[in-house]
Amino acid sequence: MKRPITAALAVIGYVIMIVPIIFVVATAFTAGSTLRFPPDGISLRWFDEALGYEPFIEAAISSLQLAMLATVLALLVGVPATLAVHRGKLPGKGLVEGLFLSPLIVPELVVGLALFQQLMIGMDLGNFSTLLVGHTALMLPYAVRVTGASLALADPGLEEAARGLGASPLRAFFTVTLPVLRPGIFSAGLLSVVTSFNNVPLSLLLQGRDFRTLPVTMLDYVQQSYDPMVAAASTLILAATVVIAVIAERTVGFAKIFGGINQ
Amino acid sequence: MLFAPPDVPASEIFARLGEMLTDPYDLEVIGRTVGLALAVTIICVVLGFPIAYWLARSPSRWSGVFLAVAIFPLMLSNVVRTFGWLVILGSKGALGQLLVQLGIVDVAPQLLYTKLAIVLGLTQLFLPLAIISCYSAVAQVDPGLDDASRGLGASRIRTMWNVVIPLTMPGIVVAATLVFAGSVTAYTTPYLLGGSSQRMLSTQLFNYASTTVDWASASATALIMTVLVFLVSGLSSLIGRKGATS
Repeated sequence: MKRPITAALAVIGYVIMIVPIIFVVATAFTAGSTLRFPPDGISLRWFDEALGYEPFIEAAISSLQLAMLATVLALLVGVPATLAVHRGKLPGKGLVEGLFLSPLIVPELVVGLALFQQLMIGMDLGNFSTLLVGHTALMLPYAVRVTGASLALADPGLEEAARGLGASPLRAFFTVTLPVLRPGIFSAGLLSVVTSFNNVPLSLLLQGRDFRTLPVTMLDYVQQSYDPMVAAASTLILAATVVIAVIAERTVGFAKIFGGINQ
Repeated sequence: MLFAPPDVPASEIFARLGEMLTDPYDLEVIGRTVGLALAVTIICVVLGFPIAYWLARSPSRWSGVFLAVAIFPLMLSNVVRTFGWLVILGSKGALGQLLVQLGIVDVAPQLLYTKLAIVLGLTQLFLPLAIISCYSAVAQVDPGLDDASRGLGASRIRTMWNVVIPLTMPGIVVAATLVFAGSVTAYTTPYLLGGSSQRMLSTQLFNYASTTVDWASASATALIMTVLVFLVSGLSSLIGRKGATS
């Protein structure tokens, strides 16, 4: 090895990132009823249990609904806003950009607390509406950043050419600009659905008896009973995430999706 | 204050804040949060930078696969990722069993609900972020500069210190800021791996808001968390600006 220190640090890093995930999967297939390692035999019983456990299924459906709706709303607000910021000559462009990008660094638990006080207590809004407002706000930066990144790559001259050739602004947008943006919008949407689905801190204080998200339900379950059912549920989530990641990689590429976030 | 209920006046929150900043237990929670977040930030940069450097510079076609493996966890639920540590560090967990089997200890030590558990969990959570931030910084540095430095006789370590690290400093600062802010505000990991014996600001805030329903304390905790995060992101953009002008 030419770089022994680099190699050692890299191995430690990858072990910390990946080994716990392997242990989750290994535990999910145990035949025993404790989080013991090595597992007592192999079976699929905990997958049966997880898929038959009403609160998990209900919460999974709730989370999916919330994630999809929040993503659609975030894109409907975020994409036009990105267009305005990048193509228009708005006064206070920097402020708008800063405003849309800020939630990534704002403590989500505090946002949850604020939404709880202002919307649920102050305006008597229901759980779902409050969660939807919170998740949409949280997903906006993804829509703005990823769309912005693909817009920056697009040549504004194309749109001008279309206009010059007699296309209306609307036609130029739908036939020229939108196709250029499509991969960006797709990856923003994908990332946003996944992030919303997985969110804990924001959702935590906004739970109600009638609407609970899956990650929070799983956390509650872990606190009460220490059995491998959560490992099985986690493995199913892992499998779904791998499928989404492969789709993302095939269509736009990981580097592009996440590269957009950290610019 | 947006996160306080209308019937709790700001004066009450600031009074509670004043109490917290003198109360030994509350100070311990604040100190633990800042201390653990700092530790995680240092570990993530120390582990993340070499990985990013290797991923960005390696000619191997495997580096693309390793980059994907490093980024993939960002899409995976924090609950799922943190749950793995329960299996490893739990009372009948793999690590304790291994230590007993190897004869290093007689009884499996308490690993869960310790600072170590939280640091491991948060490192797992935020290392991918550190890697990506450093990766885009390293990728922007011309590899020819490394070669030139090496060609002029500088050792590998000296090239690293005098050429690569100064040029990638903005990316490292971004990585450190994201990891620190993330660690201060993370909830799932301190909740599952720290429990009530290793409270951090986030778990403390939730406890005030849901268990004891003490809105003044919850708001004061929220204020501390927010100030901490803004302080660090302000500091980092200051460093970034200074770096850009010099």
